[in-house]
Amino acid sequence: MNFLRIMTQKKSLIPKLNLRQRTLIAMIVSAIILLSVIFAGILLGDERIATNLENRNLAPSLDHPFGTDWLGRDMFTRTMKGLTLSIAVGLIAAAASSLIAVVLGILAATAGKIIDSIISWLVDLFLSVPHLVTLILIAFALGGGMKGVIIGLALTHWPSLCRVIRAEVMQLRSTEYVQISRKLGKKRWWIVTKHMIPHLIPQFFVGLILLFPHAILHEAAITFVGMGLSPHHPAIGIILSESMRYLSTGMWWLAFFPGLCLLIVVRSFDIIGENLRMLIDPHRAHE
Amino acid sequence: MNKKSYFILLISLAFPIILLGCSLNSEDKIVSSTANIEEKSDELILAIGSEPETGFDPTTGWGRYGSPLFQSTLLKRDNELNIVNDLAVHYTISEDGLVWTVELRDDVMFLDGEPLTSADVVYTFETASTSGSVIDLNNISHVEAINEWTVQFSLKEAQSTFINSLINTGIVPKHAHGSDYAEKPIGSGPFKFVQWDKGQQLIVKSNPKYYGEKSFFNKITFLFLNEDAAYAAAKSGQVHMAAIPPAFSKQEVNGMRLEALQSVDNRGVMFPFVTSGETTVEGYPIGNDVTADIAIRKAINIAIDRQLLVEGILEGHGTPAYTVADGLPWWNPETTIEDADIEAAKSILEEAGWVDINGDGILQKGSLNAEFVLMYPASDVTRQSLAIAVADLIKPLGINIIVEGKSWDDIQKQMYSNAVLFGWGSHDPIEIYNIYSSHTAGEGWYNTGFYSNPVVDDYLEKALSATDIEKSLEYWKKAQWDEKTGFSAKGDAPWAWLVNLDHLYLVDVKLDIGQQRIQPHQHGWPVTDNITEWKWLN
Repeated sequence: MNFLRIMTQKKSLIPKLNLRQRTLIAMIVSAIILLSVIFAGILLGDERIATNLENRNLAPSLDHPFGTDWLGRDMFTRTMKGLTLSIAVGLIAAAASSLIAVVLGILAATAGKIIDSIISWLVDLFLSVPHLVTLILIAFALGGGMKGVIIGLALTHWPSLCRVIRAEVMQLRSTEYVQISRKLGKKRWWIVTKHMIPHLIPQFFVGLILLFPHAILHEAAITFVGMGLSPHHPAIGIILSESMRYLSTGMWWLAFFPGLCLLIVVRSFDIIGENLRMLIDPHRAHE
Repeated sequence: MNKKSYFILLISLAFPIILLGCSLNSEDKIVSSTANIEEKSDELILAIGSEPETGFDPTTGWGRYGSPLFQSTLLKRDNELNIVNDLAVHYTISEDGLVWTVELRDDVMFLDGEPLTSADVVYTFETASTSGSVIDLNNISHVEAINEWTVQFSLKEAQSTFINSLINTGIVPKHAHGSDYAEKPIGSGPFKFVQWDKGQQLIVKSNPKYYGEKSFFNKITFLFLNEDAAYAAAKSGQVHMAAIPPAFSKQEVNGMRLEALQSVDNRGVMFPFVTSGETTVEGYPIGNDVTADIAIRKAINIAIDRQLLVEGILEGHGTPAYTVADGLPWWNPETTIEDADIEAAKSILEEAGWVDINGDGILQKGSLNAEFVLMYPASDVTRQSLAIAVADLIKPLGINIIVEGKSWDDIQKQMYSNAVLFGWGSHDPIEIYNIYSSHTAGEGWYNTGFYSNPVVDDYLEKALSATDIEKSLEYWKKAQWDEKTGFSAKGDAPWAWLVNLDHLYLVDVKLDIGQQRIQPHQHGWPVTDNITEWKWLN
């Protein structure tokens, strides 16, 4: 990924492409990485992660690129399936979170003082407590498992985006062209659809994508501490937490490859998000 | 790229490091608590057991496993598990098995110089039976002191296993037993209490007034460390003995040898024995239509390759398990079956009418799919591994086992209607009664599958009411398999026992831990049973 970033920064390497094209390429490459992880996770069969006690604790080889664990399960397959599961959980949670953020953000900006202060207070409340603590509380109250993790993630990751959307709407409301439209007798609905939404859509999508890495890391963290999914599911947090037991016996590959993959996936999402913002955010589109 | 993306990159990089940090913290603790021990000839530092949460009061459960250290018991088991006298010099059982009379030694002093008399024994058992703790003394109708050195126990029903209460219950002093006793115990045992730092360590010293063979070591420190920290402590030479999980057994540690102690600390799959429909008093469902079929249970028992589980999951440090009490005096060796036989298992299923009608690889019988849930406690890696491996070993039979990791609280609600990966193993045969008698069906963690067989029940009752220990052993064995029926895999097969774990310890090469007995269901304290015999090798 660093390589990609260098490519996008140093003009001399690829002089023929302009910034817009390079941004697009970075995004496409990142998207291809993510899609291939997802496809690998879906297409690889379950028989590769069945226990195979003769082949346990193998170091990485051509047969098992990431080695095998203490039950002889192929770590490459487990990692891919784990990442797919994590991406799915992250996607659902991030989408729900951004939806909450948009609704609350618009409400805060348009529905009067009292609602604004209630929502601002909520935002402050959630931001003042570390995500992970609220997340563990919510997941625990819901009895853990997949449901607990997704709902927990959705309910904890909206505040910062909510703040951005609220500020954006407030700013838009006081801009001259909106004021003029209003004075010219345009309907409220017309102002919302023609003036507001074009500004909010990029915020929404960029916010959504930037929430992914957070959600995935937090999903991994909460599973790592044992509050998340059942410990035989191939989730990336579970794989990492299992591997800690075996580090002292020298089985480094159990932690190294899955950790690296998690890093790459999270970074890919981040690149897509950042570049998408550059492309579609009206304030930054010309940078 | 802006600051935010660097921040995320930093988080992702830091994540594994933070995780590492968490697991290292516990190791710091030992460094501070033991500071680098010198090899002092009469001192011993052990990291073998978990901390007893309720303290060191025998009337609330201390000393059920291993030596009670501070207290002594009426009877005890020797290294061959024979019952020998400790505080008692003699005991008799009445014809009907209801009255047990125990005569005590008259030369035993508590640490504070007061003599140990029958009044203390009466007090101990009366307190223990009303403490509402793990100790089950419900069967005692009353205890009385006949004279200063004679105690008489009157039971409600004859119970041959009552002798284990005399073996397991340390006698506390009546005059010095108060609410803080559990934290500052005094007794007549081989050691005196020095210091207990909760969450860290227990320090004991040899009791100079002890009437029996005194400990070779004057001072013993028990560190309460988790498995990783204990292993690290052993590696850095800070402890003389450490309890370790099988995963660490392959590593050589300088100056330490690996002791693998055989145990009846077993793991097995409990099958719900009855068909579904009923619920318990609390409203939890009972029974499972698939596992209620004896063909399913027998096929699984025969198809599992127990040796493979021992080799693969326990790294060879264990033995195949066939019953709950392998190797103990009341075990019936005929219960051993030929396993790892997929073909035989298949033919059992076929004869019972299980066929794969729709070709999805899973057998059917009528509208019933050969499919059930196997739960394991999510916190236990060995049970998790066993559960996953069993499910995969059974798959070729056409039986689909859905593995689910749960908390103990969740398991408690669902254990009457789903298979569970349980573990038992005790030096008290009452455990057999508890697991297999129809009288204990649905009582707590006991017979959760609602197993019942009138013939087995009859043997179990006879074993309990036998006044002669030898006679009772015979009935325990017949309950397992009497050539026609029984609760073992040859009979009704309400369980599929998988493995007995070996208890692994790293022991200082110079330390002699004596002849160890078959260990019960706890990794740690039971090894101290013969701690007074431990010494340095010359």
